[in-house]
Amino acid sequence: MTSFRMLEINLTTGSSTTTDISALFAEYLGGTGVATRLLLDSPSDIDPYAPEAPIYFAIGPFSSVLPVATKTVALFKSPLTGNLGESHAGGRLALAMYGAGIHVLKITGACTELSYLVIHDDKITIRRATSLKNMSALATERVLREREDSQSKRSIVRIGPAGERRSPMAAVTVDGSRHFGRMGLGGVMGSKNLKAFVISGSHYWTIENKAKYNALYKKLYDVVVKSETMHKYHDLGTAMNVVPLNQINGLPTRNFSQGYFESAHQISGETFADKHLAQQTACAHCPTGCIHIATLRECFDVDDHHFKTFKVSYDHELIYALGSNLSIQNAEDILKLLLIIEKQGWDAISMGVTLAWACEAFQHGLITPKHTDGLIFNFGDAFGLEKAMQHIAAGKNEFFRDLERGASYCAAKYGGTEFAVAFGKTEAAGYATGPFAFLGYATGTRHSHLDSAGYSIDQKAISKPKPDEDLVKDMYKEAVWRMIPASLVICFFARNVYTKEVIVEGLDALGIPGWNDTRLDALAKRIHAMKFRYKLNCGFRWEDLTFPKRLEQLTTSMGQVTCMRFGENIARFRQIVETDLQQLSL
Amino acid sequence: MVKHLRVAQREQCIGCYSCMYSCSRTWSNVMSPEKAALRVRNYSGAEGAFSIRACFGCTDPDCVKPCPTQAVTVKSGGGIEFHADKCIHCGKCVTACIPKAHQWDAEKRVPIPCRHCGICVSFCPNCVLEMQPREELKGAGA
Repeated sequence: MTSFRMLEINLTTGSSTTTDISALFAEYLGGTGVATRLLLDSPSDIDPYAPEAPIYFAIGPFSSVLPVATKTVALFKSPLTGNLGESHAGGRLALAMYGAGIHVLKITGACTELSYLVIHDDKITIRRATSLKNMSALATERVLREREDSQSKRSIVRIGPAGERRSPMAAVTVDGSRHFGRMGLGGVMGSKNLKAFVISGSHYWTIENKAKYNALYKKLYDVVVKSETMHKYHDLGTAMNVVPLNQINGLPTRNFSQGYFESAHQISGETFADKHLAQQTACAHCPTGCIHIATLRECFDVDDHHFKTFKVSYDHELIYALGSNLSIQNAEDILKLLLIIEKQGWDAISMGVTLAWACEAFQHGLITPKHTDGLIFNFGDAFGLEKAMQHIAAGKNEFFRDLERGASYCAAKYGGTEFAVAFGKTEAAGYATGPFAFLGYATGTRHSHLDSAGYSIDQKAISKPKPDEDLVKDMYKEAVWRMIPASLVICFFARNVYTKEVIVEGLDALGIPGWNDTRLDALAKRIHAMKFRYKLNCGFRWEDLTFPKRLEQLTTSMGQVTCMRFGENIARFRQIVETDLQQLSL
Repeated sequence: MVKHLRVAQREQCIGCYSCMYSCSRTWSNVMSPEKAALRVRNYSGAEGAFSIRACFGCTDPDCVKPCPTQAVTVKSGGGIEFHADKCIHCGKCVTACIPKAHQWDAEKRVPIPCRHCGICVSFCPNCVLEMQPREELKGAGA
C-alpha cells in the first residue's frame, strides 16, 4: 500500500524515469526530509539557473490521506540567496501528485523553447507553448484548465512573466491563489523554459485498517472543524494579526522605521472582512478554509457606468508588505497592487520590501529621477508604486530591471544597505516584534518567519522574560521540530493538531511502523543539520548574516535591538548547529 | 421517512473536497476523492466558484432509460440502484445525466451510484449539503 515513487523528468532530453524510493521515505518520512536528502546529492556549486540544477517537489505519507496535510514542498538552489531554496504551497498539488502516483517530482534540464508539461498517471507530455509567452500567471491557468482536461482532479502550477524573466523573486503560482512564493522558484522554472505543469492521476491507496484509520480521521477532522485550534485561520485569517501587532509596536511600517502604523485599522483583517471579503476557500483536503478572497469593484467609465470586479487573495504578510511597510493606507490600494503581483508572479514580500527600500533610497538621494525616468518614489503613493511595478514588468530601464532582483542586490549596487531589510538576502516578513523575529529570519534554513516562529518567541518573552541563551535554545528547538511537519508536509497552521502522539498514531494507522517520539526528534535534528550542510556546501557563511542598521533604530515590541545582541545570538545558534553538523553522518 | 441528499447552500462551499473523500472512504475503502458519488467542480480564475454535482435522487431518472441491460434501475422513493453484474461498461447512464451528477469510476469503468447515505453531509464543514425528506426537497442543487 504505502509505496513511494519519484518521477524524474529531464526537460533537455524529454526523457523520464520512475523510481521506487520507499526506502528513503522509511528513513526520512517524506517532504522536506526526503527532498533535502536528494538535494544533497546534487552539485552545490552549480548556477541555480543551470539546466542541470534540479527542482524537487515532494509530498508526504499523510498527503491526500489525512486532513490538512495539504502542502507540497519545493527544494531547489535559490537564485535569491545562492543556497538552499525551499518553499511550501497548498492548493491541489499534493492531491494531484498523490493521484499521479508520485510523492517526489524531480525536474532537471531545460526546454529549448517555452513549454509546459502534462503529467497524467504514467503519461508525460512536453508541449511547446511559445503562445503562452508573457502570459500572466492568472491567464495561464485559465488557458491550461481548458486545454488540458482530465477526469481526475488537476493541479496547474505555473509562472508569470516575472519567472520568464528569471527574476530571483519570481514565485510559482499553484491553482487558484496559492504560491511557492519565496526564494525564486519562479526564476528557476523560467530558466528551464518551463511555463507550467499540469498534473493529475487516478492512483490511490486502499484503507488497510479501516477502524483505526477512520477513527483517527474523524478525530482530526473534528479538531480542525469544531475546536478553537483552527478557528482563527478561518475567521479573519492571519490578517487578524495586523491590529494586535500594531498595538504592541510590532507591525513593520515605512520600511521598518517604526512598529506602529497610524492607519492600521484601515488595513486590518476586520476592515478587509467587512469591506472586501467575498469568501473563504480551502486547499484540497482541508476543511478549514483559510484562503481569504477579496473582491474589488471599480468603475472604469463613469459616464457609461461601466464596472469591473476582480478577486485576489490576501493575508497578513501581503497586507504588511504592500500596506504598512509602504505606508499604503487603504485596503483598495493594497488589492490593486496585489493584482499586479499575482499577474506578474512575484513574491509579494520580496517585492514590497524592495519597493520600501527604493522609497527610502529615493529620500536619501541614492536614487534620483534619472534612475527612475522621472517617477518619484514616495511612501504612501499607491499610484506611483503601481506605476513602478508596471515599469518593472516592462523592464523599462536598468534600475527597474534591478528592482526585481531584490533589496540586497539593489542596495549593494545603489547603496542603502543599512536600510535594505533582508536577512541572508531574503526580504524580511511582517513582524517587528523583537530580537527573535530577526534572529529567526537570519538563522532559518530558508530565512523565513516560518522556520522557527521567532515572532512568537518574542511575544511570549514579553510576558515571561528569559535569558537570551534560553530563548535561542527555544528557537532552535522549534526550528528543529518543524522539520517533521515539513516532512509530512502538513500545513503549519495545523502544527498544534499534529502533535507527536498524533503523528505516530497516523503513521501506525497507515501501516508505517517503527516511529516514536525519540526517532522523530532524532530525524528532525538530522534534517535540520542536513539543510545547513547543503547551505554551507553552497557557500553560505554565518559571517554574512548581517543586521540591517535600520533595525537598531527601530523600537520593537521588545524595545530596541542592538547589532551586538543580534551577533551574540547568531553565535549561540551557530554553535548549536555546528555541534549537530559534527554529529551528522551521511 | 426517505431522505435524499441535496446541495442546500452551494455558495458556502470552500472547495475542500471533504465530502468526496468521505464518500470514497466509506463506500470504496480508498483514500482519494476520485471514487466519490458526488463531485465538487471548480473553475479557474474565479476562486470560490464551486459547483457541486450530487445525485438528485430523481424518481424518473434520465440515467436509467439509456441503460441497455437494466444495470441501473430506479430505486423505490427516488434515486438509483446499480447492478454490477449486468453492467456492460458503456457509460450511457453517466452521459445521460444532464447536470453530470452521476459519477463514473474510470478505473473500473462503472457508474458510481449515490446511496444518499449522508456521510458526505457529516463531513461538510459549512453546511453546504443536507439530507432532506423527499417531500420537502427544495432547490435544484448544483
